Amino acid sequence: MDIDLSPADIAFQSDVRAFLAENAHKPGEDYAAWRLNWFKLAGEKGGWDIPKWPVEFGGPGWTPTQHYIWEKETASAQTPWDLPFGLSMLAPVLMNYGNAEQQQRFLPDIRERKVNWCQGYSEPNAGSDLANLKTKATLSEDGTHYTVTGTKIWTTLAHIADWIFCLTRTSDSGKKQEGITFLLIPMKQEGIEVKPIITLGGAHSVNMVHLTDVRVPVENRVGEEGKGWTYAKGLLAHERTGLAGISRSLVALENLRKQAATVQRGNGTLLDEPGYRAKLAELEVDLLAAEYTELRSLASAANGSEPGPESSILKLKGTEIQQRIQKLTVEAGGIYSAAWGQSSAGHKFARGGMTGYLSSRAYTIYGGASEVQKDVVAKNVLGLRKS
Amino acid sequence: MNFDLSEEQQLLQDSVARFIEDNYALETRQHLVASDLGFSEPYWQTMADLGWLGINVPEAHGGIGGNQSDTMVLMQALGQGLVLEPIFASAILGTRAIVDGANEDTCTRLLPSLVSGERRLSVAYAEEQARFDLDDVVTRITPQDDGYRISGRKSMVFHAQGSDYLVVSGRSYGGQTDRDGITLLLVDAASEGVRMTSFPTVDGLRASEIEFEDVFVPKAHLLGAEGGGYSLLESIAIDGILALSAEAVGAMEVLYKDTVSYTQEREQFDHPLSDFQVLQHRMVDMFMEYEQCKSLLYRATLEVVQRGHAALKTVHALKYMVGKVGTFIGENAVQLHGGMGVTEELRVGHYFKRLLVIDAQFGNSDYHLAKFAD
Repeated sequence: MDIDLSPADIAFQSDVRAFLAENAHKPGEDYAAWRLNWFKLAGEKGGWDIPKWPVEFGGPGWTPTQHYIWEKETASAQTPWDLPFGLSMLAPVLMNYGNAEQQQRFLPDIRERKVNWCQGYSEPNAGSDLANLKTKATLSEDGTHYTVTGTKIWTTLAHIADWIFCLTRTSDSGKKQEGITFLLIPMKQEGIEVKPIITLGGAHSVNMVHLTDVRVPVENRVGEEGKGWTYAKGLLAHERTGLAGISRSLVALENLRKQAATVQRGNGTLLDEPGYRAKLAELEVDLLAAEYTELRSLASAANGSEPGPESSILKLKGTEIQQRIQKLTVEAGGIYSAAWGQSSAGHKFARGGMTGYLSSRAYTIYGGASEVQKDVVAKNVLGLRKS
Repeated sequence: MNFDLSEEQQLLQDSVARFIEDNYALETRQHLVASDLGFSEPYWQTMADLGWLGINVPEAHGGIGGNQSDTMVLMQALGQGLVLEPIFASAILGTRAIVDGANEDTCTRLLPSLVSGERRLSVAYAEEQARFDLDDVVTRITPQDDGYRISGRKSMVFHAQGSDYLVVSGRSYGGQTDRDGITLLLVDAASEGVRMTSFPTVDGLRASEIEFEDVFVPKAHLLGAEGGGYSLLESIAIDGILALSAEAVGAMEVLYKDTVSYTQEREQFDHPLSDFQVLQHRMVDMFMEYEQCKSLLYRATLEVVQRGHAALKTVHALKYMVGKVGTFIGENAVQLHGGMGVTEELRVGHYFKRLLVIDAQFGNSDYHLAKFAD
């Protein structure tokens, strides 16, 4: 066991730092152009635009330590916004189960951030019980296309997406998990209707997507008909690891400390109040541990194993930590956290504190509710059976 | 010993429940939230006609002459409906300031118009540097021949927009955090030098930042004693905490009951969610915590009725528990409603928002736990 950075790692770290500093967004610079150029330059470094992709698809082939360094450095630096749907969720499925034609057709656009994807998984009656999905895909008699009808829900950014990757039902016989087929569907076409869902923070990021007799060429099916569940399960594990956000939480905790230090209490600040101080400390202790849980998970992934049950632990702990940071931000803001939107009242950081906290309540629901994650751990790790 | 409601209290509870049933569908409420005023003038008038605005006002001045336990019944029932009208700001906080602090002439002139709904009050006690401390006051009050001048800035004043008068705490003398030297004044909101910026709060109510620039207040509008206003401010805060806690307990009841029904209807894995033991136990915890809060609400309310300010420690205990349990019940109601719980479409999220804001009003749970331990 050894966690010291090797000379090579240290060199890599300075290389990353230099790249991030050099290419930070400059005031007045056109954001969209800067963003695309940033990814292009990162690509020229040797796959830095696609850190998690395998080498054969252009990825950098980093060691776990290098991934860790990258996560840590980018969490506190200014990097362009990026969406996980194409890059981290669909791409691994295409690499593992898509054919060569599909890989050539979709992966380059994902890499260049040219095409936005969204994820068509959950349905009104298929939430935690995802396999219960009912969106029907019927293959035409001549076998050239599917006709898809159904409703997807909680579809993040469907309103700006060009494509949706969808789990559909092609058969009702046998187990629920069988008869699910993985289809790729362009969003901008007749028969697809996107309705916004406004969440508690007041934001519009998720949607309901209605599909009515949408024609999907059979070339847009990934893998075999009826095997979509197997493909999706691997993909869910990727999603869960990505949701833990430990590095970002470390940065968020540091920011929270700075914010709390601006709240004057007598001759000191909020950081001197024993109750608040203890809660911050507890959070920090949990983060110290979670950071190593993540490292252990990275190391085991490096040995070639798929992210397995330990990714469930990370999502559980990581999301809970994110929520606690949000809660402590609300507490630090005091009554000013109650102001909605951009009021001029009170501490600047408090504005939007409560809406951030409210949004964070979804973290333990999406990507597999915490209760379901614990079922997975109970079954797969502890070997427990349900009565 | 008897924890039953009196016949009058039972009638009051029934009348609020009926009003909510008839008028406060979520869609109607959200429509009001989005309106300029943020609540309904016709509803306000109905509340006046039903006598709710005079709950704390002596019968001699046209009110019901109730005490804190009557207010508790009213607020608990209103909390179940997530009502937007400024009863708390005007009929609880404002009225207490007038009844306990104003001279006979002001009482005679003002109280009937508060009871009838014609006029509204709000109380401006918070200042930015004070966090939750009522005695940290830098707004300056200077005496002059026929009255006072007030200068400073008051923060997060709930329902100031549309109020006719503001009850304002200021400092006549003493250091920033001295209890001695605080004075309360009744300020006409239309006075020259009052500048108000209003905005919505997370729970759909309205609050304001208010600047007072050398505002004149006539001598007759002194509330309580000059420099001795802290005890009146504390009375207002005690009534405020009891009322907010009662409202919170009403909201918690809706949340745990909605969760119990939702989990019985929603099926996943070929079972109603309520079949899963882990969720059953969670709901039992929500129920237990709700009952504990209700007990402490009764305890604190009855102690204040009997012993006034001497019951302050129990009031701290109550506000601590309401904040802690409100968060616990709200978070779990949302969690057990799954994705639907985090949308604006179901009512659970709206009750949760109100509980969050209640925790931040008059001191959050950390603050009151520390006060309790002192």
